[in-house]
Amino acid sequence: MSEYTGAVQFTGLDFFWGIAYILLTILSGVFFYKLGKRSGADFFLAGRGLPWWLPATSNFATHTATDTPMWFSGFVYKHGMFGVWQSLFAGWCAISAWVSTRIFRRSLAGTQAEWQTLRFSGLPAEMMRGWMAGWQVALNMFIAGWVGIAMGNVCQWALGWPLWYGLVFFSTACAIYAMTSGFWGVIIADVQQGITMLITIVLVSIWAVMAVGSPQVIVDKIHALGRPEMLNPFHFTGWVSGDYPLMWLITMIAVPFLGGFGMATHFDWFVEAQRIQSAKTVKAASYSIWWGAAAVIVRNSIWVIAVLAFFVLHPDIQDESAYQLAWFRMGFEYFPAGLVGFFFAAILAIHFSTISGILNLGAMYATRDLYHHYINPRATEKKVIWVGRLMTVLVLLGSFFFGIMIGKDVTKWLFFALWLMVAGTWLPNILQVVWWRFNGWGYLSAWVANLGICWLVVWILPAFGILPELPQFYQFWILMAAVALIYIPVTFLTKPDDMDRLVKLYVQTRPIGFWGPVKKEAENRGLLQVLHKIELKAEKNAGKE
Amino acid sequence: MAWIKRTWTPHEADEWTKEDWLAIVLSPLSYILITFGLALSLFMLTAGFIMLGVGIVITIVMFWVIDPKLSVISEEYESKQREYLEDLEQIQRWEEK
Repeated sequence: MSEYTGAVQFTGLDFFWGIAYILLTILSGVFFYKLGKRSGADFFLAGRGLPWWLPATSNFATHTATDTPMWFSGFVYKHGMFGVWQSLFAGWCAISAWVSTRIFRRSLAGTQAEWQTLRFSGLPAEMMRGWMAGWQVALNMFIAGWVGIAMGNVCQWALGWPLWYGLVFFSTACAIYAMTSGFWGVIIADVQQGITMLITIVLVSIWAVMAVGSPQVIVDKIHALGRPEMLNPFHFTGWVSGDYPLMWLITMIAVPFLGGFGMATHFDWFVEAQRIQSAKTVKAASYSIWWGAAAVIVRNSIWVIAVLAFFVLHPDIQDESAYQLAWFRMGFEYFPAGLVGFFFAAILAIHFSTISGILNLGAMYATRDLYHHYINPRATEKKVIWVGRLMTVLVLLGSFFFGIMIGKDVTKWLFFALWLMVAGTWLPNILQVVWWRFNGWGYLSAWVANLGICWLVVWILPAFGILPELPQFYQFWILMAAVALIYIPVTFLTKPDDMDRLVKLYVQTRPIGFWGPVKKEAENRGLLQVLHKIELKAEKNAGKE
Repeated sequence: MAWIKRTWTPHEADEWTKEDWLAIVLSPLSYILITFGLALSLFMLTAGFIMLGVGIVITIVMFWVIDPKLSVISEEYESKQREYLEDLEQIQRWEEK
């Protein structure tokens, strides 16, 4: 797995940090048991009353997972500053904070599946809700397994444990507080975890710089190694050729940033959707998304210097799985005794925040969208909470299955899951927000077509030699075009959604884009108070005169 | 800066205006400049400090532009939220009128 094969030596103080941290996290979560059991909205959305900084911290903590420093180290060790572009998928929050977050918060939909029954009407809306809920339950099992097995890998490397120990033991610890106090426990634990991990990330970078000498020494050594391009984020190798083509970069920028006009254009959206609805106000929701992602990009910038310090200390590592451990190794190898345990506690914080959030999110889709909406619409609040707890355990067990299946190939699926699996639905996810005529059948057909076509283009056809193995940015645009050939005709061959539903959505959420006929209908029904607006304008003009 | 509107009525704030589009344009710029500005600044590179400085200024301008509008939207929406939540529960329980 790595050129470094020795287990990390823990002192008594190191063990103290680790054990104390696990207890602190579980207790801080369990402490909110009473709040979590008040209602379904408390168990899954912390009562919809949080100030912006709580979901923002949770956003940051959840998106700093055990696998995150691995793939980030991999990109930066291999490509230097240019690799940082790959981490800018958090950029979808830049536009989303001011557009889709605002619209989604106004819809009050607890989940993205629930949004389907507000945005679309009739059978396709219900089919989309059921489909999306089921898919989210499975996806959250997969993500929890993927992040969980990353912890298994770290523990195997650092402590010499069997792979499954790190997966099962720590994910189960998360499930304890996710189950008892629901999203209240998750969000409160996220705050202390977010602070712990940010302090540790800064400390590792300081120690990394000290290990080399100074920032200037790192720069000099990178030049001496003949790799000055590693400090240049704009180092291109042509339009479409080489390791760093401009087309790749354009795809990297355009896809996440423009995705902020839509909903679900990135799988992180589903996590954020829960935080958006937990915020007390529309403004708090927008701020939480913007500042949460801002903390993520600041984190990435601080990581860069630690990884490049590792690079100049170990410049010849060829094995990807070895240099992906760059950040972990800087902490374990250069922190003094005693602080190593604190570092391990921070790794636990990184791990717990993601796993607990994912378990609660998966349980939310299973409970609110499948159980409560389809199986038992008359369920009491008490019953909803108990089913939520049961579903938390179900998602946990599913994560063990996926984690064991993934094993050591932690980052193998990353690009596929992050980008290519959503390529075909990227544009439909924007269209559902910006274009009134895009209907439920069109959206449903896009999801179904994407599911088949993405596997065909990325894995099946290349395996049989029918399609060459293309660069990922080509695959992205091919998938987008191929799926569009299906959902655009479907949209125009089927009727628009029910106007009553569209008007209701428009008045409540005020979506951006092409909603002219719906706006006109809302005005005709007197729902936008046109006269009042004209009066205000007249008053204003009179004031100017 | 008269070109930027900072006093809104709820009805005006509900429309998508140039202030929204300014925030939409400035926000990605802010993220990109802060990311690379901070990363390069930690290496004490001049380009990094310049990018970071510009990124921070852009961020401040963006919030100065969007905050008044967002505050009005938010306040107005909260007054209607209870009714909307009741509607949502009816859809959840298949009791929609």
